[in-house]
Amino acid sequence: MRNFFSKPYRWAAIFSLLLMGAVTFVLLDTFVIQKSVVVVESPSAMAVQETSSTQSTDPVITENSYEDENIKINIETVQKYDSTIYVADIQVSDVSYLKTAFANNTYGRNIKATTSETAAAQNAVFAINGDYYGFRDGGYVLRNGTTYRDTARSAGDDDALVIDKDGNFSIVSESQTSMAALSDNWQILSFGPGLVENGQITVDSSSEVSQSMTSNPRTAIGQISELHYVVIVSDGRTSESAGLSLLELAQEFKDRGCTTAYNLDGGGSSTMYFNGEIVNNPTDGKSSGEREVSDIVYFGY
Amino acid sequence: MSILDIKRNSQKKQIRRTIWIYLILAILMIVINKVYGIFGHGVHSAVMTWMFLYPLLGGVLLFFLMDRLLPDMTTRFSGYRLFYNSYNSGIAVLTIGSFLKGVFDIAGTNSSYIALFYAVGWLFIGLGLGVLLTLILNGRKICLSEEREQ
Repeated sequence: MRNFFSKPYRWAAIFSLLLMGAVTFVLLDTFVIQKSVVVVESPSAMAVQETSSTQSTDPVITENSYEDENIKINIETVQKYDSTIYVADIQVSDVSYLKTAFANNTYGRNIKATTSETAAAQNAVFAINGDYYGFRDGGYVLRNGTTYRDTARSAGDDDALVIDKDGNFSIVSESQTSMAALSDNWQILSFGPGLVENGQITVDSSSEVSQSMTSNPRTAIGQISELHYVVIVSDGRTSESAGLSLLELAQEFKDRGCTTAYNLDGGGSSTMYFNGEIVNNPTDGKSSGEREVSDIVYFGY
Repeated sequence: MSILDIKRNSQKKQIRRTIWIYLILAILMIVINKVYGIFGHGVHSAVMTWMFLYPLLGGVLLFFLMDRLLPDMTTRFSGYRLFYNSYNSGIAVLTIGSFLKGVFDIAGTNSSYIALFYAVGWLFIGLGLGVLLTLILNGRKICLSEEREQ
């Protein structure tokens, strides 16, 4: 054995093959192999069982608005910061109309579907991509009142959006707040950073997601008042629309009167869906079209 | 010129070839980081940026020092191949592990297997350096006994 490996290049050749095998496995495990952990009942199916979550009158729907007795949505398109920005003003009568859903109704790693596919499966009126929790092992995941993951992210990059059972937003640091203390909430989304807190902008021109310093497509959600929300999605990485920095995004929420606002997964994931159509122009900068993601935030029954 | 001199020259060439290979690998790592950065939408990873240090400091520097301080290493002492294989494997695993960590950082994801790359890499390097140290100490003993016999 010792003589076999003492010949030049034999060890190198065998070890290189083993190393390449290990690299291939880790890449597949991280990006491709699906790991289903929990199959959940569809939030929309659950809602049918609850009398409070049903719609009794026909909604009034236009190209950019929706209104019934429980949900009111208005979408406007704005050109600002050298970017195309889609702003949805949403009011609901109860927090149960603000929901989240997993791709294929399954919690797990690398389980993905486009925002529009997941939204259509839930009969969502309006939807955006969520925090893409299934791309990471850390970050709190609490959806529609059920806890799925209680692993906190490390300090410095650990802002989580908490939506309580009255529909009010707050931003917490995962490394400083245990999941046990948060488990009695309606939703927790784990991406960040927080953009606005107590009506004040909490990011600056040097703030970015994962050291990125460029403008990007963005998805973010904010709260103006009780059960009154603003969702902003921006196009980016194209010649027509550069995309927003986090500071510009935060400024937009503040200008619209938000007391709390939070950045969700952006880049190629950024998608706004309304009444069966995709509103924005999703792109990762190389190709256009929706990216598959783990989860969505939506308004509907 | 004696057979020992011919062998010594040949082994010196081998060490210098190793230094050149490590130097090329260090430059390749810098180029890979730059090219990857072009497609990263401005997102960078410190781990990927500095991964060239493994072949540069761990490879070029160590073998340069060996060439200067231990010129007879490969001719005098058996077991050199064990050090060579083990140490180079460690540098390879650490460099590849850093590249993977950088890819995951830039993509915004992570993998628990990265820790294994670092553990295995340092294990190989530790083993290699351990073998090297043993060879140096044993070599000194042989040299001293040879001097006494003369």
